[in-house]
Amino acid sequence: MAASAEDIQSQTTQQRADELQGIGCSRKRKEDPRFVQGKGNYVDDIKLPGMLFADMVRSPYAHARIKGINKEKALALPGVHAVLTAEDLKPLNLHWMPTLAGDVQAVLADEKVHFQYQEVAVVVADDRYIAAAAIDLVEVEYEPLPVLVDAHRAMDEDAPVLREDLAGKTQGAHSERIHDNHIFRWEAGDKEPTDRAFDQAEVTVKQSMYYPRVHPSPLETCGCVASFDKVNEHLTVYITSQAPHVVRTVVSMLSGIPESKVRIVSPDIGGGFGNKVGVYPGYVNSIVASIVLGRPVKWVEDRMEHLSTTAFARDYHMTGELAADKDGRIKALRVDVLADHGAFDACADPSKFPAGLFHICTGSYDVPTAYVKVDGVYTNKAPGGVAYRCSFRVTEAVYVIERMMDVLAQKLGIDKAEIRRRNFIRREQFPYQTALGWEVDSGDYHTALDKVLEAVDYEGLRREQAEKREQGELMGIGLVTFTEIVGAGPTRTCDILGVGMFDSAEIRVHPTGSVIARMGTITQGQGHQTTYAQIIASELGLPSDQIQIEEGDTDTAPYGLGTYGSRSTPVGGAATAMAARKIRAKAQKIAAHLLEVSEHDLEWDVDRFKVKGVPGQEKTMKDVAWAAYNNLPEGMEPGLEAVDYYDPPNFTYPFGCYLCVVDIDRHTGQTDIRRFYALDDCGTRINPMIIEGQIHGGLNEGFAVAMGQELPFDEEGNSLGNTFMDYFIPTFVETPKWETDYTVTPSPHHPLGAKGVAESPHVGSIPCFTSAVVDAFSHLGITHMDMPHNAYRVWKQAHALGLDKRN
Amino acid sequence: MQVELDKSFPIDAAPEKAWRCLQDIPGVAGCMPGAEITETIDDSHYKGRVKAKLGPATMAFNGDIEIMGLDADNRQLRLVGHGQDSKGSSSAKMDLTAWVVDGDNGGSVLKGEAQVSVTGKAASLGGRMMTQVADQILNQFGKNFANNVMALGDGAAAEEAKEALSEQPKELNGLAFVWSLIVGFFRNLFGQRKANAG
Repeated sequence: MAASAEDIQSQTTQQRADELQGIGCSRKRKEDPRFVQGKGNYVDDIKLPGMLFADMVRSPYAHARIKGINKEKALALPGVHAVLTAEDLKPLNLHWMPTLAGDVQAVLADEKVHFQYQEVAVVVADDRYIAAAAIDLVEVEYEPLPVLVDAHRAMDEDAPVLREDLAGKTQGAHSERIHDNHIFRWEAGDKEPTDRAFDQAEVTVKQSMYYPRVHPSPLETCGCVASFDKVNEHLTVYITSQAPHVVRTVVSMLSGIPESKVRIVSPDIGGGFGNKVGVYPGYVNSIVASIVLGRPVKWVEDRMEHLSTTAFARDYHMTGELAADKDGRIKALRVDVLADHGAFDACADPSKFPAGLFHICTGSYDVPTAYVKVDGVYTNKAPGGVAYRCSFRVTEAVYVIERMMDVLAQKLGIDKAEIRRRNFIRREQFPYQTALGWEVDSGDYHTALDKVLEAVDYEGLRREQAEKREQGELMGIGLVTFTEIVGAGPTRTCDILGVGMFDSAEIRVHPTGSVIARMGTITQGQGHQTTYAQIIASELGLPSDQIQIEEGDTDTAPYGLGTYGSRSTPVGGAATAMAARKIRAKAQKIAAHLLEVSEHDLEWDVDRFKVKGVPGQEKTMKDVAWAAYNNLPEGMEPGLEAVDYYDPPNFTYPFGCYLCVVDIDRHTGQTDIRRFYALDDCGTRINPMIIEGQIHGGLNEGFAVAMGQELPFDEEGNSLGNTFMDYFIPTFVETPKWETDYTVTPSPHHPLGAKGVAESPHVGSIPCFTSAVVDAFSHLGITHMDMPHNAYRVWKQAHALGLDKRN
Repeated sequence: MQVELDKSFPIDAAPEKAWRCLQDIPGVAGCMPGAEITETIDDSHYKGRVKAKLGPATMAFNGDIEIMGLDADNRQLRLVGHGQDSKGSSSAKMDLTAWVVDGDNGGSVLKGEAQVSVTGKAASLGGRMMTQVADQILNQFGKNFANNVMALGDGAAAEEAKEALSEQPKELNGLAFVWSLIVGFFRNLFGQRKANAG
């Protein structure tokens, strides 16, 4: 039978849509050809004429007074141009700088060092080698002071006062300070109803846990090339930044150079994971050195400097409590956190949220009442507290609630899947108002859980586990059903240094129908060049291969807040769609003019406007693009371009269900992640292949954190984890095999229904590994084990239970 | 990163001889592999240098030594040394008490208690080897010191001691060090096995 005309029509529609390679297409990443050929252009690839090199003199002490700095010998070394100390920066008022969290941070140690490896002086020389040699020649005399390492001791009466610059100040940036080492107290929820619910509860559980200090440790360390043009008073900085526009504002405010004469360029970036959001002393020192010397100055960290001084993540001491009835239905949640922020509060959070979005910690569950308290304290450790592949403090939040769900299940003897099912926010409850103030946009948690349990044969796994336990073997099943909060954020609640957290896109359609688009975000491996083009392709009906995406140069891109907290798709992607829609609206008018009909008589079909009911009467977007430059309706200005600054009405709330199966050698503590099944729901899926890659990457980093990463310190504040000898980076050898799956529950408020995905696998997988490892011991009464679950620590647990004995 | 060490070295010489050697601060310093006194400020203040090579890292600690007490009645010396490596990225401090007691057969025993603390890169990179390294340094020190004392005398034993002294390495040698650590490790292993078996 011959195909009907309608079939042919729809076939060709489908074919045309496929040719665009728009939303939903697993288009190959456009970035990769240059990366795999070694043709990327990173900060350290940038070489400018007359460029000098900066290097830092750093403190061996975690806490010491600087008695004197003698730089004569260093200055005498041929090839050395300058040695700068806090004294030199003081007249410029640049020896301290503001942090994103409302605190100040020493650019170079001012009279005191507050953490080991803190920047004490900067040496600028002809090349790296001379700079390194000159560092040896700078003589610094220190008087060691008592060191504060343990956050639990920070607010003791006899604790040494770390921040003498703040001593006696009872008001901090976010709250009253109750101790000289106290930074803030932050609360969410209702304390009294929560306490009451606990008093009246049939069952309560309480668990303390420590989320260790870790470091994002991207492949590329931090660095910059600062170049000040003395004649035009124009400053250009090539920098490893996830937020170049914000850096421009900060640099202008600090230096007094008009923002229009500051150009910040984030070239290719070798991974950020939150570490490259902040402004570091190394950047400021390079900029100052370039202004002083009138020559370009490059500074690039080595790995040890990177792990020791640029922003760490986590370091949360958390106590979770759940109140429930006998059936395991949650009545209340209470969480108490002691947050170790290091020597300066340089957390990268929206200004109003000193604990980030931690109060998403009610998770995927219908929790009637909750109360959260977070106290931030100073210690003699490097500053930071960034969102390591997560939205601000969401990893910590998901960890505490998911751990508590397991603890409650264990206490009541209810299966951990069942207790989650009983407490899930139900499909019909969305949008759901949480007890701590969020409006969760959409979700379908039951479907996700059921799909995973069926895929892995959960009942079968539990039977196998029971048999193994009979034989004395250790097998654990971890389960996590997480909800993230990403896409910061609505400007009414979210800002950084007073700039609202919108994002932007500017799209120009050229006469021939090719496109250049620029965004305020910046890719660091997320594949923006590929996915943004797909969004525009679908919205405008122009092939994505002819759409060029540019980001990271503040001279050309519209102002945006950057890429972190999975905000590119929720915010930048939305701006892109909205800008494209403005263009399509104009195009529709032009098409109507060309077809001599009213614009309301037109309908959009993949890549063209058609006159309704008149086959063959149509104009493609390509036709319209040409006409936009020569044949326009009366009174319409030429050109086809648009800008959109998108202020999201809400965050987006991706979710997922992860399951992990681990076998543990009871004699050695060696863990074997036998199976890891990850189901993610990030709403509309723009490029499934990139999503898959993001999930693999996030799971790898989650595995790294859960099973090995930590930055420990000894009692004198020596960093004991700042080399790759100690700091765990999983390779092909260690990494388990990942199985991925998905459901699609679009966000109702996002123009494309997309929610963001890069961080879910990190946030969701970490408690899943813990859940699995603890589960292996749960029949012996163990309710929690702190990370990292390396062989030694797991063995210690087995040993404490006498399981490692050989018969 | 702090370790505490407690050592004793038998010396085949009279306690008075050992005590005489112990009061000779530059001499004592010279017994420490890689260490030397570079400047004598007064009887109780010295400047010194310690060079240590561990794998790829060479560290030269420049520092001050202060004699906190010389107690002739108890033949006891107490000194505190602290220094920074020339790169400024590490620092070390040692609080040492050493004394001579009577040994068997007219000999003597040098006893030492030390607290050694290290900060900075040395602690980050070498922390996990610190106890073993310090132990090895002090063992070498003990040998050298014993030879020093014996070299004061005459005869074959003194000659042998002098020869041994002239052959001692002038700085802490990484390779030799690692070797002695390995030997030490296996000794411990065997020691433990034996203890278990017994």
